[in-house]
Amino acid sequence: MSALSPTRRAVIDLEAFRHNVRTLAAVVAPAETMIAVKADAYGHGMVPVARAALEAGATSLAVLDIPAALTLRDAGIDAPLFAWLHGPRSDFAAAIAAGVDLGVSALWQLEAILAARGASRPRVHLKVDTGLSRNGASVADWPGLVRRAVEVDAAGELRLHAAWSHLADASVEDDEAALARFREAVYVAEGEGARFPLLHLAASSAGLRMPAAHFGLVRFGIAAYGVSPFDDATGADLGLIPAMTVESEVASVKRVPAGHGVSYGLTYRTDGETSLALVPLGYADGLPRVAGPRASLLLNGRRFPIAGRVAMDQVVLDVGDHPVAVGDRVVMFGPGGEGEPTAEEWAEWAKTIGDEIIARVGHRVQRVYRNGSPR
Amino acid sequence: MTMGDAVADAEPLGAGAGTPPAMLRREARIDLAAISRNVRRLRDLAGTPHAMAVVKADGYGHGAEPVARAALAGGADWLGVVDIAEALRLRRAGIDAPVLCWLHARDADFGAALDARVDVGVSSRDQLREVAAAARGCGVVGFVHVKVDTGLGRNGVEETGWRAVFEDAAALEAEGVLRVRGVFSHLANAGPEEDARQVAAFERALSVAGDAGVRPDLRHLASTAGAIRVPESRFDLVRLGIGVYGLSPFEDATSADLGLTPVLTLLGGVVAVKRVPAGTGVSYGYSYRTTARANLALVSLGYADGIPRLASNRAPVSINGRRYTVTGRVAMDQFVVDMGTDTCEVGDDVVLFGDPATGVPSADEWADAAETINYEIVTRLGGRIERRYPS
Repeated sequence: MSALSPTRRAVIDLEAFRHNVRTLAAVVAPAETMIAVKADAYGHGMVPVARAALEAGATSLAVLDIPAALTLRDAGIDAPLFAWLHGPRSDFAAAIAAGVDLGVSALWQLEAILAARGASRPRVHLKVDTGLSRNGASVADWPGLVRRAVEVDAAGELRLHAAWSHLADASVEDDEAALARFREAVYVAEGEGARFPLLHLAASSAGLRMPAAHFGLVRFGIAAYGVSPFDDATGADLGLIPAMTVESEVASVKRVPAGHGVSYGLTYRTDGETSLALVPLGYADGLPRVAGPRASLLLNGRRFPIAGRVAMDQVVLDVGDHPVAVGDRVVMFGPGGEGEPTAEEWAEWAKTIGDEIIARVGHRVQRVYRNGSPR
Repeated sequence: MTMGDAVADAEPLGAGAGTPPAMLRREARIDLAAISRNVRRLRDLAGTPHAMAVVKADGYGHGAEPVARAALAGGADWLGVVDIAEALRLRRAGIDAPVLCWLHARDADFGAALDARVDVGVSSRDQLREVAAAARGCGVVGFVHVKVDTGLGRNGVEETGWRAVFEDAAALEAEGVLRVRGVFSHLANAGPEEDARQVAAFERALSVAGDAGVRPDLRHLASTAGAIRVPESRFDLVRLGIGVYGLSPFEDATSADLGLTPVLTLLGGVVAVKRVPAGTGVSYGYSYRTTARANLALVSLGYADGIPRLASNRAPVSINGRRYTVTGRVAMDQFVVDMGTDTCEVGDDVVLFGDPATGVPSADEWADAAETINYEIVTRLGGRIERRYPS
C-alpha cells in the first residue's frame, strides 16, 4: 500500500487502557471511578477511549468543558459526564439538554445555569478551593454559593449532587491540609443545609496513595493512560501499562564521513565514518525540541541518541555501522517492553511530566487503535 | 466497536474545523494581511525571481490554506510543504499554485503527487527511480527537484552520490519521463563560515548537475535566514518559512528589526478571579507562593493547547494592557496569573503573545521562557485553539 505521508503513528492499546481502568477501579472500590478524557483523552482520542473506560468499569467521565461533553453525547455515549471549566460564553443550555453534570465554582455560573435550565433540573457539583488556587470557590465565597444552591435545590430548580475539590500534590502534609479544608467546607455546607449525595477530591495521585481522600468517587486521569503521577514510581511499578506508543519509520539512511555536521547549528559532528538515519518526527509532532540533547529513539532493538537539534518535521540518529534500512520501525515512546523509552523518560528529558508528553502528540500523528473490543 | 485496528483520520483541527460557537476562549487570531506584507517584504529584500512560502505543519500552526492564499497574494509564486498529504490538502482546497514536497514514506504514493501537479523533492537515486516509475504509470512528465546535502546531514544526496543521481536524472529527462525543475539544499544556519562552505558545496553540486546535462530552472538553497543575510545563497528562489509568519530566525534580531510583523496573536480568557492572602501556594506542587495579598486570574489555556509547561513561572502575558507573569505550574488546561493589586473580570482577554509593537509579549519571549525557539511556540499550538482570521 502506498502512502501520502511518512509514517507517524500513535498506536493506542485499548486493552492496556482497560487494564489500567480495571486496576485503578479495584484500588478505590467501593468508591466509584470517573475517568478523565479531557484534552482529547490526553491525546489518545476521546471517543474510543471514553468507550473503553466505560467497558472497563468507569461509571462516569470527566471532560473539562461543555463542547467535549457534547462531542461524547453526539457519539452516542450516555454515561454520566462531568464538565467544570466554564467561561461567560459557555453554552449551559446545551449541556443541560444533554444531561451533563456541571461543576460550579462561582455564583455567576450557578445563576447562568439557572437561567439556561428551561424546564430541566440540572445536576451540579459545587467546587471549593482547598489550596490549589485555581478554580473553586474561596473559603470566603463558599457559604454564599452553598446557600444559593441549597435554596434552588429545595425549590426543585436543580439538583445539588456533589461537593468536590482538587489537590495540589505539593506534599503529603499539604494534601492532608487540603483534605482537612475539604472536610471543613463540607461541614460548613451541611450547616447551610446542604446534603451531598456525593463527595469527590482525589485524582490519580491521591487515588493511589491517599485512601482518606477517596470519598464516593475518584477521578483518574494520567494513571488510566498508564503513566505515573509520581516522581518516585513508574507506571510499571504501579501495575499500569502505558496505552500509547508513538512510532515512525526511517525515511532515509546515508553513509557520511567523520566530521559531518548534523542538523541546525551543526551542534553534532560525526566521530567517524557512520550512517545517519532520518526519522520523520519533529517538534510539530510533539517531539519536544528541548529534549534533543538527552533523548533517544528505539530502532531495530537498540536505542540511539538524537544527533543534533530536533527540527520541525524530523530528527537524525547516528546509527554507526548498525544495519538500518529505509522503512525500519522507530519508536519514540511506548510501554517500554521492547526497550523503547517511556513517556516518563521523555518527560525527564524534556524537563516536564508524562502528561505533557502524551497530551501534546501532534495532529499529523495518526491515531491507530488496537484491541478495540473488550476481551 | 469493530474488531481489529481502527484508524482515525489525522486531519488538522485548525482552520475550518467545526468549532462550537459557545466555548472557552482559546483563540489564535491570525492577521492574513500581515502574511502578505511579510512575504512582500522578504521577496523585495531577496530580489529573487521566485519565492516559495513554506506552509508545512499546517502553516506552522497558522492554518495552511489561508496562509497559502495570503502568501500568494503577497507575491509568493511557490508553496512548500513537507509531504504529499499536505500538498494534496492544498489542492483539495482549490489552490493551484506550484507546490513542492520533500519528505516521503518508503512506499510513497508519488503518482498521487504527480497527478495533482505537485513537484517532488528527491533525496536519493531510489526515490528518483520511484518517481520515474510513477510518472510512467500516470502517463505524465514528473517534475522533480533533486535535493543535495551540502552539510546539514538530514535529507539530500551526499556529495559522493551527486554524479550518479544527476546522470540518472539526465537520462530520465532525455527519455521524457521526468523534468528536473529544481536542484536544492538547506542551510544549517551555523554561522557565516558554514554558510559559505554550504554555498560552495551547492555550487559544486550545480556544476556536477551541469556536467551531467541537468539544467534546473530553480536553484534554491536559502530559507528565511539565508534570504535575509546570505545574498550568495539566494539563487533563483528563496524558501520563506518562519519569516512569512513574521518571526525572526535570528537570536540577535527581532521581527521589527527585520521589518516583519508577527502574524499570530494567542488569546485565552479569564475564567475566574480570586483574592488570596500572602503565602498562598498556586497550582500543582506550589512552585509559586504569593508574596503579598494578591488577585489571581485563572486562564483557560494549558499544555494540552501547546502552552509549554517549562514556561511556568517565567512566561509573560498581557491582561487589559498590563504585563504579568505566568505563576505556578502550567496545567493541562489552565494556568494562573498573579496580578498583584490589579484585578480583572471573568471574560477578559489574556494575550500570551502577539506583535510586541502593540505592547503585548512576543513569541520570542515565550521561546526563551520555554528554552526553545519561536518556531516551536507557534507550531505546537493545539487543536482546541480556534484559528480566527479577522479581515
